[in-house]
Amino acid sequence: MKKNKGNLTIVVLLNVVLSTIWLLPLYWAFVTSVKTQKELYGGITFFPRLATLENYSALFQYKEGIFFTYLRNSIQISVLTMILVTVIAVLAGFAFSKLKLWGSKLWISLILFTIMVPAQALMVPLYNTLSDLKLLGTVWGMVFIYATFQTPFCVLMMKSSFDMVPNALQEAALMDGASNFDIFWKIYTPLAIPGAITVLVYSAYNTWNDYTIGLTFGGNTMKTFNVGLVDMLSNDNSVNWGTLTCGAIVGMVPILILFLFLQKYFVKGMMSGAVK
Amino acid sequence: MTKIKRRKFSKKNITNILFILPLLAINITFFAIPFVKAFYMSFFDWSLLGEKAFIGIQNFVRAFQDKKFLHSLLFTAEYAIIVTPMLFIVAFIMAILVNHRFKGVGIFRTIYFMPVVISMTASADIWLWIYNELYGVLNHILQGIGIIDSPVAWMHLPKTSLPAVCAMVTWKMAGFSMLMLLGAFQAVDEEIYQSASIDGANKIQQFFRITLPLIRPTIGLSMVISVIGSVLAFEQFKIMTAGGPSSKTQTAVYYIYQTSFGNYKFGYGAAMSMVLLVILAILSYFQFAVMKDATE
Repeated sequence: MKKNKGNLTIVVLLNVVLSTIWLLPLYWAFVTSVKTQKELYGGITFFPRLATLENYSALFQYKEGIFFTYLRNSIQISVLTMILVTVIAVLAGFAFSKLKLWGSKLWISLILFTIMVPAQALMVPLYNTLSDLKLLGTVWGMVFIYATFQTPFCVLMMKSSFDMVPNALQEAALMDGASNFDIFWKIYTPLAIPGAITVLVYSAYNTWNDYTIGLTFGGNTMKTFNVGLVDMLSNDNSVNWGTLTCGAIVGMVPILILFLFLQKYFVKGMMSGAVK
Repeated sequence: MTKIKRRKFSKKNITNILFILPLLAINITFFAIPFVKAFYMSFFDWSLLGEKAFIGIQNFVRAFQDKKFLHSLLFTAEYAIIVTPMLFIVAFIMAILVNHRFKGVGIFRTIYFMPVVISMTASADIWLWIYNELYGVLNHILQGIGIIDSPVAWMHLPKTSLPAVCAMVTWKMAGFSMLMLLGAFQAVDEEIYQSASIDGANKIQQFFRITLPLIRPTIGLSMVISVIGSVLAFEQFKIMTAGGPSSKTQTAVYYIYQTSFGNYKFGYGAAMSMVLLVILAILSYFQFAVMKDATE
């Protein structure tokens, strides 16, 4: 739509106003996290009189540094899930796109079906399954659950990114006597890297930000950062809001950094993840 | 060429299965079996300890007589009905605002999308502090401009807690719907506007006669996605209201969670999950219907 100059100025102004409102909660969380306790509870100040890191050290000293453990759990679970999901998705996506598979159509329609069923609807039997396999409250138990609910979409994502690589390459390599695995590894995998990054980012976002699966299957032994933060928020009245906002900041900074650097992949993964 | 390829590949058909073996293994163990088990468990009186007894459809009968469960379904519907249009209107305004070519428009798009990538936990945490009765910035601002006389305990009143959670979710998720709508706006062929201008249609007429009808499928899709998300709402209420006051803001997933893992009534929890699955299946049907519409 073409607009004249006057209209464009109004549009820019409205954008400035709305984006300021959108940034305010994040700004507010940040200034709260660096305020002294005295200032925090002594009336509202929009610019901290004195910036301090005491709330951050309070967060990491809480219960003898339990947040280090929560962070380590979250990082461990996220990294393992990202690797597992990407490996499964690249292999299966390649097979569905380029290989002759028995029952290929059936598998694809089953994948479409799994996408529609969210983890929230299967919490009870999953708890039971994990308990039978002695995986409740373990890193692998949670990695498997996250991977299960992330792979269907990621496989389709990888399939469509392999679909975009022309078959001619494969035929030429076959003539030269290359094996299926050679073709997969040497020809296709390098070309499918953008798709794989999208999958990695999608997995990182969904695992790192999750609360419900962590709460249900992590128990007391494998609390993730988000679960630990809500524990402190809901059950401990002695913790001040400076420390609580530090928790929110520490939880969101890694994913925000990832987002700012890999924005394109983020948006692609999340948009097609919802639309399916 | 094609013939050679087919023959060579079919020979190695058995090794091809190896590529999808990891996918099959994880999905059978942690999806297919639990899915069947959910159905099976729902016909049992199944607790953490003690005997599991087959009780037929008793759990389902109980679910539809359970006032708390019915209330949680109604509350979930109420939440979906309030948050969906709220989020949509904000997202629509945003999409119009960023559907222009000017320097720095990308920065605004990024800012609107930023809350989408942070966790629900972090945003619930931040907004709880904003809504704080005594020290919260919201009461401070609203008192400052004279909208309220005395501080409001946003999270403790049934009247204010639901809209307050909806406002948080709108802040968090509007950027997402914005991008969907923006994509639809930009997919409209520029030439249609040009020929409409030549025919003398003004901008407002063009918007209502051309843009809106063309992006209608995307509007439908973004709303269905938002409704499905709302039906699964759990953490925003668990964190912000803890389901209170007196279970008034307990969503369906929250009640199922409470019954299954607070009281360890697995059979009953599984039965209510089946009810939830039926609701989701109906919504997914609508999603497919509007998606078909969107791609045609």
